[in-house]
Amino acid sequence: MPEVTPSKNAVLMVKGLTWLADRREILSDIHFSLPEGKMLGIIGPNGAGKSSLLRCLYRYIKPHSGSITLFGEDISILSAKEFAKQVAVVLQDTPHHFDLTTEQLVAIGLTPHKGPFEVTNASDREIVSDALAKVGLCHKAKQAYEHLSGGEKQRALIARAIVQRPKLLILDEPTNHLDIRYQIQILELLRSLSISVITSIHDLNLASALCDQLLLLDSGKAISHGTPSEVLTEQRIGEVFGVCCKVEVHPQHGNPQISYFYGYDNLSAGDKDHEG
Amino acid sequence: MKASVNNAWVISALLVLSIISLISAASFGAANLSFADVVNVLLHNTLDIGKVSGIAERIIIELRFPRVLLAFIAGAGLSIAGSVLQTVTRNPLADPYLFGISSGASFGAVMVLTLFGGSGLLASSGLFSGLSLFAGADLLDTLEWFSLPLGAFIGAGLSVLMVLSLCGRTMSSQIERMLLSGVAISFMFGALTSLLLYFSSPQAAASVLFWSLGSFAKASWEGLILPAIVVSGATVIILLFKRQIMAMRAGDETAHTLGVNVGRLRLQMLLLCSLITAILVANCGGIGFVGLMIPHTVRMLFPGSFSLMTTALFGGLFMVWVDVLARSLLSHQELPVGIITAVIGSVFFLAILGRKN
Repeated sequence: MPEVTPSKNAVLMVKGLTWLADRREILSDIHFSLPEGKMLGIIGPNGAGKSSLLRCLYRYIKPHSGSITLFGEDISILSAKEFAKQVAVVLQDTPHHFDLTTEQLVAIGLTPHKGPFEVTNASDREIVSDALAKVGLCHKAKQAYEHLSGGEKQRALIARAIVQRPKLLILDEPTNHLDIRYQIQILELLRSLSISVITSIHDLNLASALCDQLLLLDSGKAISHGTPSEVLTEQRIGEVFGVCCKVEVHPQHGNPQISYFYGYDNLSAGDKDHEG
Repeated sequence: MKASVNNAWVISALLVLSIISLISAASFGAANLSFADVVNVLLHNTLDIGKVSGIAERIIIELRFPRVLLAFIAGAGLSIAGSVLQTVTRNPLADPYLFGISSGASFGAVMVLTLFGGSGLLASSGLFSGLSLFAGADLLDTLEWFSLPLGAFIGAGLSVLMVLSLCGRTMSSQIERMLLSGVAISFMFGALTSLLLYFSSPQAAASVLFWSLGSFAKASWEGLILPAIVVSGATVIILLFKRQIMAMRAGDETAHTLGVNVGRLRLQMLLLCSLITAILVANCGGIGFVGLMIPHTVRMLFPGSFSLMTTALFGGLFMVWVDVLARSLLSHQELPVGIITAVIGSVFFLAILGRKN
């Protein structure tokens, strides 16, 4: 992989990150850094370690070696609350029996900013309604979160993260299960927030169009890190994903545009898919 | 925010209703007293206004008020414990007794009854003291009154400590371990209780049965102190953590990203809820169904403006009136509270479920 150029104003810097599960290396020796205000897409086949990497970044799991620094500070020394004030995370799943209104869900984002004796005041309410306005859900504020559509749910979760007022936003496949209109909408919404974003993403064309940087993972290793045109080459996509494709320049944004070819021997393609 | 305005309205309405209920509930019972009598006695007793009969005053102040208050505290405490446990274990079927508390308490109670019980004590007092409000308190009675709650509390505490020590601090497997160890410990204490009862007198068995169905008949001002302190203290602590508890509804991993120490918070909440439950079980016996049902009922009745205070007040109100029914349904006899909570609770619950469908 190309050497990471550590920029002076890096939000996040990851060095030699390794994580093992059952003595198997799920993530091995990963290096990258994220400049302020940029959007980093983490791509790779199923089981490449995308979710595990994100979990290390938001401290849900502890890496076995390596360091992760946030604005130059080791993240493991921050208190849970301090960390939550700087890093917000949007995950894929919401539990069942979730009977909050959209507004209540979004207000949960206040949690790290409030002490035990503090009540929700007028300025908190303004933050919540501003966040709802930003994701275009003001009219759904009083509705049950459960009754929102998939795209609206995802936007509500992002509004919750906005209320958290983070400097870094981490998302685990925010475009999953959404139709293409919503996929584009969600990612463009993230870009419009002008905060640093790290998101895992499956659709390479979408990642190419809307991320500033990409980090390609395969079997727990960082294969490539750089701009979409640096990372997404025909050869690399062929090696990592096991598909043949043609990479062209997209007529609108100028980043790589991938066309896949079809007709594979199912077994070998399946093998690749479940590796690592 | 509309939701919070709604919430304030609901809470104030419930507060007013609770005060009226506490007064009117004190007018029900064997002696014929009216709402006005109770108010007069209250005014006389607190502000020294007006004149009241000595007997009425004694009945109301020494017998009925402690009882009504204990019912309110028990209802509120069990509802809060149930609600918090349902949230932190993300299990809609969680109730305060889920973690072996009631079987632990039963075991402790049976231990006490069989150790101190012997023969005469149980036959004379154990069975009937609960049934008759005005049972004369002799020395043996006092011993039992004191030692049964203590035994129950120790038993309940034992089961909770066992669950806590087994469930561990890791977030991912915690809920599962909590529930499984709770079930296993329930069965273990249940078996030990059955074994003890099998070798004890029929009177002891009847006494344990009556105790386990719950009653507020033994309420006194002195007996009220500890439950009041524990329930209100635990409630205040729980309320201080309400944001974190709310965050846990969004899932463990999300709560973690919101700065909540999920594993630790869940253990703390289990401990607090267990403390509430243990002290209530020890004082009023095993009143079932309230902790399970009230939180769900409140959630269904006031969607979107659900809060712990609403749940607590609603639970307290419910229990006060259940106790009134327990005192007045049958003429010379009292029904155990637990039977009424289960009957009313399940019918009410089913009706709401049906309506919502």
